[in-house]
Amino acid sequence: MNEPFAFTPEERAAVAAALDARVPGAAALGAVDYVERLLGALDHDPPHLWAAPGPWAGDGPRWLDLGPWERHAWRARLDDLQAVYRRVAAGRTEPGDNRVVHAHACEAAYGDPAYGGNRDGEGWRRIDFPEPLFPPARVP
Amino acid sequence: MTDCDAVVVGSGPGGATAAEVLTAAGWSVVMLEKGRNHLVDEAPPHEPLRQFANDEVASTRRHLLGPDPLLEPRTYRRSPADGDRLLTGEVNNVPCTVGGGGVHADAKLPRFREEDFALRTARGPVEGADVADWPLGYDDLEPHYAAVERSFGVAGEDGANPFAAPRSGPYPMPPGDDMPMAVVTAAAATRAGLHPYRAPTGINSVPHDGREACADCGFCAGYGCPVHAKGDPLGALQRALRTGRCDLRPEAYVTEVVLAPGGRRATGVRYLDLTGYPDPPLREVAAARAVVLAAGAFETPRLLLRTGLGGDRVGRHLMYHFQTFVIGVFPDPTGGERGRSVTHLHDDLMIDTPDLRAAAKAAGLPWLRGGVVEHGAGPGPIDEAGTYPPGEGHTRSMADSALRRRLWAFTVQGEDLSQATNRIDLDPSVRDAWGFPAGRVTYAPHRHELAASHHAGPLHEAVMTDAGALVAFTATSPPQGDLDLHAAASPLGIAPASRHVMGTARMGADPATSVVSPEQRLWGVDNLAVCDSSVFVTSSGYNPTLTLAALARRAACLLAGSAA
Repeated sequence: MNEPFAFTPEERAAVAAALDARVPGAAALGAVDYVERLLGALDHDPPHLWAAPGPWAGDGPRWLDLGPWERHAWRARLDDLQAVYRRVAAGRTEPGDNRVVHAHACEAAYGDPAYGGNRDGEGWRRIDFPEPLFPPARVP
Repeated sequence: MTDCDAVVVGSGPGGATAAEVLTAAGWSVVMLEKGRNHLVDEAPPHEPLRQFANDEVASTRRHLLGPDPLLEPRTYRRSPADGDRLLTGEVNNVPCTVGGGGVHADAKLPRFREEDFALRTARGPVEGADVADWPLGYDDLEPHYAAVERSFGVAGEDGANPFAAPRSGPYPMPPGDDMPMAVVTAAAATRAGLHPYRAPTGINSVPHDGREACADCGFCAGYGCPVHAKGDPLGALQRALRTGRCDLRPEAYVTEVVLAPGGRRATGVRYLDLTGYPDPPLREVAAARAVVLAAGAFETPRLLLRTGLGGDRVGRHLMYHFQTFVIGVFPDPTGGERGRSVTHLHDDLMIDTPDLRAAAKAAGLPWLRGGVVEHGAGPGPIDEAGTYPPGEGHTRSMADSALRRRLWAFTVQGEDLSQATNRIDLDPSVRDAWGFPAGRVTYAPHRHELAASHHAGPLHEAVMTDAGALVAFTATSPPQGDLDLHAAASPLGIAPASRHVMGTARMGADPATSVVSPEQRLWGVDNLAVCDSSVFVTSSGYNPTLTLAALARRAACLLAGSAA
């Protein structure tokens, strides 16, 4: 496998500023890590794209595998996203780039912490979103 | 030399039901599913897989359930005046995975009513639409409704819906717990003279069929169930597989139907084995007795068109449900994070009432039918976050959470009248990853849908306000009005967001006006059966899954000579 994708320190700072401009506080919740892990998802096997449910569901791997054509699609998608973030890091965004950054800032702030954002579930706590229970269980 | 008695294309509620019937009758079945398998172990004893989680990122953002629009783009336009297409990408994609649309649905499984099968007779024609009676009636389908309710495991409350068609027996399970806010809006609806009831739902309210009861985790519509409380269509698939006569093959893209010389008999299908990359091998399955198409009302006509079968009517009469969303913003949290997305319905907009007659008259229409109204919760937090403008106010908006935590919604699944000009065909230039023409939607609602929506909006805004909402407003999908404005503002996009897709291989008694016979066989190819919502003659205003599965069961029984 390749070395996992990683931003340079300068790129991290620029990407963090872009994410925070869309969703203030996103970077502190791990949004740069979220983006970095997404862009490098195919540098792992299985790819780090779909988190497995967790140990409660059995002893399987922590990430679900993709089929060969799903990998094909994600390779193309991640190539495009890497180009977006190169532009973001260089301060040369094109129309549409901000929409991508906004979507990722939202996913990073309020998605499952398995993907690198929403650090320690803090994003959910800020909005009083009840942390999903695993295994799913009835709340009294 | 054949490989099986029947090949079934698609593993969703229609295909799974057909396979269950055929294998029970002793037939051998090869089931081909284009998507991947996250649902059921292909090895005995075919236990459910544990691959689904309460994960908004994987399920709603990263195409876990497929199809990936980069592999399978679809295109959309409102009419030929828009040119070849308005957009390319996702167009009301139903999951492409073992289990099909049943996996992601929150499994509201109402039956249609008697009138739904005889709308032309009961209500009469509407100018500019193609309202027709079905070639079968509710009584023909009732035993199959009952059997499919048992197969999927439907939880419901006998006698709760005063408008429901007669039943031959009780629901297999009692209803699950009410969502608290649904109790509040149901009470307000009752005060307005409406008749809410607990939704029949294919989700275990108690342990059933070897599967757990629902935990009301809240990740329901749009998600595979982590504990497999959803039985649609897992129960049917397991029963088919456990006969040892069903060979499930995921990642199998059916490219064409194979016909015997003369073209009046289907002998099998060819498919690309998508486990191969970058050059997936082309394989063939030869079926001795029947080919069953159950790929859904988008992919079934696409396959027929690709094969050159069925004539010009294939793909026409495309229907969705014209969705009207009445949104209420409440002063306090509505508790929508837990529960099964929707727990209550009411049918009043489907009934011939003086109010609806007056609204029809005012609109210059002979009659109006809305649709079933779902009392339901709002989106997940990522979806919510995407609706607020970026920048300084975003965090405050999320904390205030008017559009999730304090939101409650009525969704009207509005009856969509059949029009021959609404259709699925093959896009002239957009191709999928394997070089086949993308499916293209051409769709615009009839003014009946707009009039019914205009009637439903204010009525339900008043109910929402009576329930305690600070603000109530109405939106539709597809959005109406200025396209550019909506393209930028509508979180649901400009194409219909409804996943209820119907009518594209219409059933009828006359080959000149239909694609399949009353037995759901393609006219001219009598061993090719269509077992999905393609065959619907009208869209009704009810969720289509139980009806398409009951039809699939009936068609499979007729194929196999099984008793209903």
